[in-house]
Amino acid sequence: MNKKALYLLLPGLLFLAAFMLVPITLTIASTFVQDGKLTLEGYLHFFRDGYFNRILLTTLRVSVVTTLVCMLLGYPAAYYISRASARKKSILLALSIFPLLTSPVVRSFSWMIILGKKGLINSFLVNIGLIDKPLDILYTPVAMMIGLVHLFLPLIIITLLGVMENLDHELVRAARSLGASPFAAFRKITFPLTVPGLIIGGILVFVGSLTAYTTPALLGGKERVVSTFLYQNAMTLNDWQAASVIAVIMIVITFVVVGLMNAWANRLNPKG
Amino acid sequence: MSLLSLEQVSVAYDNRLILEDFNLSLAKGQLLSLLGPSGCGKTTTLRLIAGFLNAEAGAFMFGGKDYTKVPVEKRNFGFVFQSYALFPHLSVFDNVAFGLRLRKLKEAEVKKRVTRMLEIVSLGGFEKRLPAALSGGQRQRVAIARALVIEPDLLLFDEPLSNLDANLRVNMRVEIRRIQQELGITTVYVSHDQEECFSISDQVAVMNNGKIEQLDKPSAIFKYPASEFVARFIGFGNFIAFDGRNDMGSDIELSRGALKFQAAKRPEGLGNTGLLGAIRPDDLQLFGEPGAAGIDGNTLPGTVQISTYLGRSYQYQVETELGVFTVNQEMEQPFVQGQRVTVYFPKEKLVLVQ
Repeated sequence: MNKKALYLLLPGLLFLAAFMLVPITLTIASTFVQDGKLTLEGYLHFFRDGYFNRILLTTLRVSVVTTLVCMLLGYPAAYYISRASARKKSILLALSIFPLLTSPVVRSFSWMIILGKKGLINSFLVNIGLIDKPLDILYTPVAMMIGLVHLFLPLIIITLLGVMENLDHELVRAARSLGASPFAAFRKITFPLTVPGLIIGGILVFVGSLTAYTTPALLGGKERVVSTFLYQNAMTLNDWQAASVIAVIMIVITFVVVGLMNAWANRLNPKG
Repeated sequence: MSLLSLEQVSVAYDNRLILEDFNLSLAKGQLLSLLGPSGCGKTTTLRLIAGFLNAEAGAFMFGGKDYTKVPVEKRNFGFVFQSYALFPHLSVFDNVAFGLRLRKLKEAEVKKRVTRMLEIVSLGGFEKRLPAALSGGQRQRVAIARALVIEPDLLLFDEPLSNLDANLRVNMRVEIRRIQQELGITTVYVSHDQEECFSISDQVAVMNNGKIEQLDKPSAIFKYPASEFVARFIGFGNFIAFDGRNDMGSDIELSRGALKFQAAKRPEGLGNTGLLGAIRPDDLQLFGEPGAAGIDGNTLPGTVQISTYLGRSYQYQVETELGVFTVNQEMEQPFVQGQRVTVYFPKEKLVLVQ
């Protein structure tokens, strides 16, 4: 490559170095130092703490369930959109990314109206006599999951749509001509070839759910997830050391999960 | 008795009729090519036979049964795609075994048949490779093996050689013909390449605008095109619109104003109507001076406009009172631009088309 072209890369590279790499490195470094000594005490303290372990577990549970539900809802939707006519496709695509265009705050408030004790769902269920007392949905992990699925479903649909539109439909025809029923062709050809998209979409949803702040903060009530706990430590308790440790734990979890799932997606992808 | 027949079939795509009242039939063991420019309906016809498309009207009969409503997977036809359509996540072996496993054959039998088929297409030893690790010609042969191993009742090819380079194309078409004849399998082959179709087919159907313009043996089509379209498509580059004809014995006398030409009659059954004369650039001859030895009649004086070198021969654009003619001629001393020449139309090469 032309060396001069490298100069085009320089401003972005400098920006990233100055405002991302340096702070992250400093943050990570600070977590290993206490009273001027190198120590793992910061981490050990957290993993010995039952309260933090519960928060970590809730966060992972919410993220995993959100990811699975998004996959389950997103896959058929993306499949349908990919097979629709061009006109229908653009309408459906616009509809499915519409939620991305509203702020998470506004969306979360809408869910509060729907999920609350006197919200739409509870009023309806009480009115038709299915239950006598309103259900506790709002301010539980379930409410977080509902909000997060709503937030991330468009993301997985768009990711999957890209993979599905790249799928050569001749392959399905080839399978049919060799004796496969439409379902068998889907199971043996379409699904295996779109699984990498499902995994990549899943990574995006999982990482997004793991690090989301607004939605769990507004819909979770007193329920904490790691990101809200981090905020609380930093802004309310002013314990930046603890906040840094939480941040590093989040980063590590994210990297491990992304790495594992990426490796899995690559192994499934025949083109490497 | 024909094995396959399309009867009064109509196919529409996006509300546009591609085929209308289309008829076609094919005898067992024959290789039929559908030849024509893109958009002529040849691929539509093939996909209709395969079952990828549904007919709006008409019937598709196969082996005496109505196949019009039989779904693709129940037809037992082998299809070789232009893009090969190999399953990228499956090895060569698994690609070829795909159809056999769907037929619930025992794994030992699958292995035996796949191995034998890969040997027929000279791909023994490639079982474990993924399609991405094969060359174009190898992929093509996997595609053919995959379609053949299910012992199909009919084999369908959709421009199978168009993605290969020229040398490989010639080898592969010989290969396809060899396998087809060895297994005696009835085949429909689609291509826009005239030479390819002629070289491997028992019958060629030249198509245009959703209609078959001519269906015959390759040699008959090559010599005696039925229509102007067919003539142009297979390389008759020169046309003369005559205004009168007079049949005399084995010849036909043609006139254009005061000019008279002779054309030999076609053999019985190959059509002899029409007033449009057609002749290939290779069949015209040029002479430097008028009245060359042994030639009387069927000539026109002209002037060389452009001369280009084709390698094997020179190509001339010769202007005459009946328009510009293209002539290919092999010679040591080429004619130069502006030179006066005589164009000779051998009567047995001048054919009449509609």
